[in-house]
Amino acid sequence: MKILRSSALLIVVGFMAWMMFNLYVTYDSRTELNDVAAYYAEEGLSEVGAANLVTSIVVTYRGLDTLGEVTILFLTAAIIGLLLKTEKGTRTTPVRESSEFLMTGARILIPVITMIGVYIFINGHLSPGGGFQGGAILASTFILLLMSISNKKIGHRLLDYTEAISGLSFILIGVLGIILAAGFLDNKIFSLGTFGTLLSAGTIPIIYSLVGLKVGAELSNIILEFNQIQGDEDH
Amino acid sequence: MKLFEIEYISLIAGFILLIVGLWGIISQRNIIKMIISFSILDTSVHLLLVAVGYIRNRTAPIIDSSVNKLNAANEITDPLPQALVLTAIVIGVGITALLLTYALKLFRQNSSLEINQYKSLKW
Amino acid sequence: MVNPIYIVAVLLGTAFLLGLFRKKGTGIIALVALAFPVFVSASWFFHFLSGNTEVLNFFTAGAKPPFSINLQLGIEEALFTMVINVLGFLGYTYLYRDFKEQGIKSTVLFLILIMGLNVLIMSRDIFNLFVFLEIVSIAIAGLIYLKRGADTAIAGFKYLIALGVISTFLLIGIAFFYLFSGTLNIDDFLNSNLPAVKGMSMAVFLILMAILLELKPFPANGWALDVYQAAHPGISAMISSGTATASIFLLYKLLPLSSIDWLPYISIIGAITFIGSNLLGIAQKDSNRLLGYSSVGQIGLMLIIIGMAPQLGEHFNLIFLTVFISHFLAKAGLFWISGIIKKDNIRQWSVLRKNKLLLFMFGFFLLTLLGFPPFPSFYGKWQLIMELAHGSQFIWLALILAGSFFEGMYLIRWFGFAMKEKDESEEKLTIHWEKMIPPVIFTVFVMGASYFANNSSDYGHTLNLIPIYFVIALFLLDFLPAFVKNSLVIASMIIYSILLYPDISDDTLRLVFAGIFMIGGVLTLFAGYSVKGKREGFFPFVVMMYAGLIGLIEAENLFQFFFAWEIMTLGSYFLILRGKKSIKHAFNYMLFSLGGAYLIFIGFALSYFGQDSLDLSIISATTLPGWTYTLLAIGFLTKTAAIGLHIWLPGAHAEAESDVSPMVSGILLKAGAFGLILLFLLMGAEQSEQHSLLYILGWLGAITAVGGNLLAVFQEDAKRLLAYSSVGNLGYILFALAFMTNVGWLTAITYSINHFLFKTLLFLAIGGVVMRVKTHNMYEMGGLIKKMPWSFIAVLIGIITLAGIPPLAGYGGKWLFYNAVLTKGWYFQGALIFFSGTIAFLYAFKLIYSVFLGQPKDKFRNVKEAPIWYLIPQFILMIGIMVFSARPDLILKPIGTMLSQSNYFPTDPLNWEDVTATTNLGYWSGYKIMIVIGVMFVVLLGWLMIMSRKAQKIKQFNIVYAGERPFTPGTTHFSHNMFSNYYKAIGFLSWPVATGFWNGVNLFTHNVADNIRRIYSGNGQTYIVHIMIYTIVIYLLMF
Repeated sequence: MKILRSSALLIVVGFMAWMMFNLYVTYDSRTELNDVAAYYAEEGLSEVGAANLVTSIVVTYRGLDTLGEVTILFLTAAIIGLLLKTEKGTRTTPVRESSEFLMTGARILIPVITMIGVYIFINGHLSPGGGFQGGAILASTFILLLMSISNKKIGHRLLDYTEAISGLSFILIGVLGIILAAGFLDNKIFSLGTFGTLLSAGTIPIIYSLVGLKVGAELSNIILEFNQIQGDEDH
Repeated sequence: MKLFEIEYISLIAGFILLIVGLWGIISQRNIIKMIISFSILDTSVHLLLVAVGYIRNRTAPIIDSSVNKLNAANEITDPLPQALVLTAIVIGVGITALLLTYALKLFRQNSSLEINQYKSLKW
Repeated sequence: MVNPIYIVAVLLGTAFLLGLFRKKGTGIIALVALAFPVFVSASWFFHFLSGNTEVLNFFTAGAKPPFSINLQLGIEEALFTMVINVLGFLGYTYLYRDFKEQGIKSTVLFLILIMGLNVLIMSRDIFNLFVFLEIVSIAIAGLIYLKRGADTAIAGFKYLIALGVISTFLLIGIAFFYLFSGTLNIDDFLNSNLPAVKGMSMAVFLILMAILLELKPFPANGWALDVYQAAHPGISAMISSGTATASIFLLYKLLPLSSIDWLPYISIIGAITFIGSNLLGIAQKDSNRLLGYSSVGQIGLMLIIIGMAPQLGEHFNLIFLTVFISHFLAKAGLFWISGIIKKDNIRQWSVLRKNKLLLFMFGFFLLTLLGFPPFPSFYGKWQLIMELAHGSQFIWLALILAGSFFEGMYLIRWFGFAMKEKDESEEKLTIHWEKMIPPVIFTVFVMGASYFANNSSDYGHTLNLIPIYFVIALFLLDFLPAFVKNSLVIASMIIYSILLYPDISDDTLRLVFAGIFMIGGVLTLFAGYSVKGKREGFFPFVVMMYAGLIGLIEAENLFQFFFAWEIMTLGSYFLILRGKKSIKHAFNYMLFSLGGAYLIFIGFALSYFGQDSLDLSIISATTLPGWTYTLLAIGFLTKTAAIGLHIWLPGAHAEAESDVSPMVSGILLKAGAFGLILLFLLMGAEQSEQHSLLYILGWLGAITAVGGNLLAVFQEDAKRLLAYSSVGNLGYILFALAFMTNVGWLTAITYSINHFLFKTLLFLAIGGVVMRVKTHNMYEMGGLIKKMPWSFIAVLIGIITLAGIPPLAGYGGKWLFYNAVLTKGWYFQGALIFFSGTIAFLYAFKLIYSVFLGQPKDKFRNVKEAPIWYLIPQFILMIGIMVFSARPDLILKPIGTMLSQSNYFPTDPLNWEDVTATTNLGYWSGYKIMIVIGVMFVVLLGWLMIMSRKAQKIKQFNIVYAGERPFTPGTTHFSHNMFSNYYKAIGFLSWPVATGFWNGVNLFTHNVADNIRRIYSGNGQTYIVHIMIYTIVIYLLMF
């Protein structure tokens, strides 16, 4: 019976593999940028003013996608909060204290990691990185924090406010783009500044910072929710 | 050999991971393993996306010291798939987190992580 | 005009804003936020509607596509965003209380859902569509949890895994699409005319496949059905109406991407989904899951329509939009009702009877889905079937009607449960007003849509809608007392007949039937005065039935005919359903009627093939005579209950209310006869070729006559006896019609009039008796002649006419008939009819003897005569019979003239010398017979009275009557099993073969449905395998 099942599944997967293979063979190595990408390469700098072309695409050209992405994280955090509402409660068994090694290490590392994270999302338009990457790093800081101060309760309030305010500001900036410039999320409502400096590329640094904070807050929120799940035994 | 160029390797790796992920989803009974397979599936697609954007012997689409501003169109790889992947990764994270949460709710219900224990809704 | 981006900004901004608030009271903010998009999209829609057809593009990021993302607004986008936003606003109103309990987070999810749906419709960038598709799906995954039960988590998990796999396919497709085309923008791609690359079609395949899977096709949709079942109905409403709309539009947007013609495949997928889903719905008992099956089925129908877009040409818009809006409004309405009454099993929906408005809306939405007139999808389906016939796509035609039939099965059954099933629940139905508003508003929208559909359809404006308006008026006036409404209806029918008369006065045929319908209607309605109170839910349907009947008379083209036919069926169904024990019979009636109606529909469609107009005459010119005529004949025969198709009749007529039985048995059956007459007239030109069909129908008529009468003989239930008798009588008419000779048709029409007169009389009389004695069983009655003398006389006259005894009209009919048989030469069939006539004597005798003669029972010593309102129409009918018997020429001469004058039956007419009818076989003079028999009667009566003066009066309990024990009926009643020795002899002929056959068909269908639905094993993993197999199969088909 088990063999029957496995072989049936194998056949199904086999067919899928064959389908994908048909797709694979159509691939030819690329030699040129296509028109759209070439446009980004040539005009991206002067239009948007960011050195990191990927950033300019993510934040400005395809800003609506980013808005959607941010919404998805927001959705996820909200849903997890909704689903896990009944899981919270007071722990019946005491939590084991974190080890000294962990606590000391955390004290040293947390500021450093935070700095890296902030650097990454602030400089998103100049070097590889951006809001999401920076935000993820900030969230990892949060994990470290959680692990090291395991007996203290952390409230959601700050995280929720950060999320909400950054989200609102994002939209506000977008709307300002319609009113003051050429379209939603146009970054030219602030001046493009000098290329290569921190305060260039219009609204991009601001947006990416907001995104970084938001992502960090949301991922931290999710982790916090998971952490507050009451297990059957402590661990 | 053509097959050992980086873009072909990534493509093949992507497809292999894809099949592995699909296989995992339909064959693993444990819910957590299903979720892990889904994660593998997700990653494979990201890999494919990035591979699609690669152009040989070119560098990252950031106009700094290594790229000539005026000749950028001939020196950088395609920035668009990279932007797409950013979004796709986040979406994948969202879905995975939700799946895990639902798995937890299921566990609370029946104390089992086997997918065939959850058949109450049928025909 | 407002930039649609503001919809996104407002909804999303509000969602984020609400995250700041922790307290409740945010509901109003959300409501306002949801009202804003309604305003925006509605204003855009009217902007486009008023003639500005130019499609507008809204750019973002200060750059143009394909470098940035743009939102497009044309009239289609405006329409769909408008309906979705209205749904969002009303849906939120509906869920207001639930969201308040759950907290702010679920409101946030809802806002984002609506935003996502808007962008899905407007965006022109593929990856953007992917992102927002994910947003919508994830929001749904969260909102599933609203009901917070055990099942919601399971459903949510299966949904998410399926979503994950589907979005993977989509993303791979997008990746490779970008690789080969270099753009992500739909318009850019369409404008660039790239050469077709093999990989490109693969990539597009993956993209379109993913969207298709999102539409939950059968059978890869187990995960979706679980969601429908487990989620809060308010959310299911959003999924079924909202996301389905967006997904279909998405498919429509993305189809042009492919270089392969996907359309035929989409139709095939749609057809499998439509039929499969509806078939499985038959075996379904959970109400929400059933609605899920229905949703999936309707989407399948829409896919079929989309796939046929090129063939449907200019009609595509009407067809698609009517089907779409019906589904959209009705599904949401039904889910909302489900959420109000909170009952999972379809049998428990009897609780709806506690609230009349809910019950009304339930029926209303069900009818919307079924496509009955005057609802919008009737017009759409009509156009669709006609176009398919025009293009000779007969298989598709049959498939669509088959799927619709299955859908009709479970929807009608459900309605029967709601109306008739015992209501076990004790608690009062608590209804929050905010939950009632959305379905009520959608009801109004359906009415509006019906109006628009009527105006937009090709033939809609030719309809005479006055009767429909009258029906609506009666619904609104249902609070008035019964006698007011009754008078209103009677008066209007009289006035309408007077107004109608000039139009049809030259068409004797129509005049006869109009007379039957209208006069009969007024007479039977008289009996209704005996009912006290309001009699809610009766009058609108009575008017509906008569409106349909008169519509048949007035019909000038196929569309009007079919419209009237359906309205008539609908009205009569509701009337029959009112009987105490009639749930099963009304259901059977509806099924047979629906099947018959669809057969007629196909027949009409076949005659349209190759023609241009829909005038009734095109039936004569059909290019497929054999099929057309056979199908039409069978369709009409379901209404006249020919043997084999008769099993619904006895139950339906017997269990109906006392004043409804005369209507349906005396009058409604004539509609089928009228249809047959029309059919035969139109077939007329080709009679010689249709010899075989007519021959078969002749035999069928003869067998029906024998069968019906035979079955009547062995009945213990008085009304059933009369009902079976009607089966026999209609067989008689069919047989006579099949002659296609002058005298034959004269017989048939005469007999129709006769049948109307005596059957209505009998049912009224027996109905009056049943009202007083409160039982149908004849062996419980007896000796009622003393207490109900008038009813006795009525029944006496009735059975004399029925049996064809002189001097009454039936005798003349028999005379005509034998003339016709001898001239035609169908001797054997004629013998059968003669035999059936003999049998008719048996039950006629049983009827009068068991009920009125014999010994009165204790129970009924004090019964009163039937209500006066029953007696009056009986008197009028009796007078009619008398007149007709004495002076048959009053009616027969005009009919004879008509039959001879037309091209149809010029030979062998009935000749008239003054008032005597002659043929070359003999003569008949009505009044002479009356005089002769009358004299004989008087003489014999006088003799009896003289002789009986010497008789001794004996009381009932005198020893003389020792042979019969008057006070223990039941098996000792002489009437019980009266014809048992006949039964031993020929009873085998009455074995319920037909019933057995149809039961077998029913059981088979149920079993098939039950077994196929087992593929939904409940295991989420298996569903993923389904998805993959489905994809592989389609891939293999296409490549």
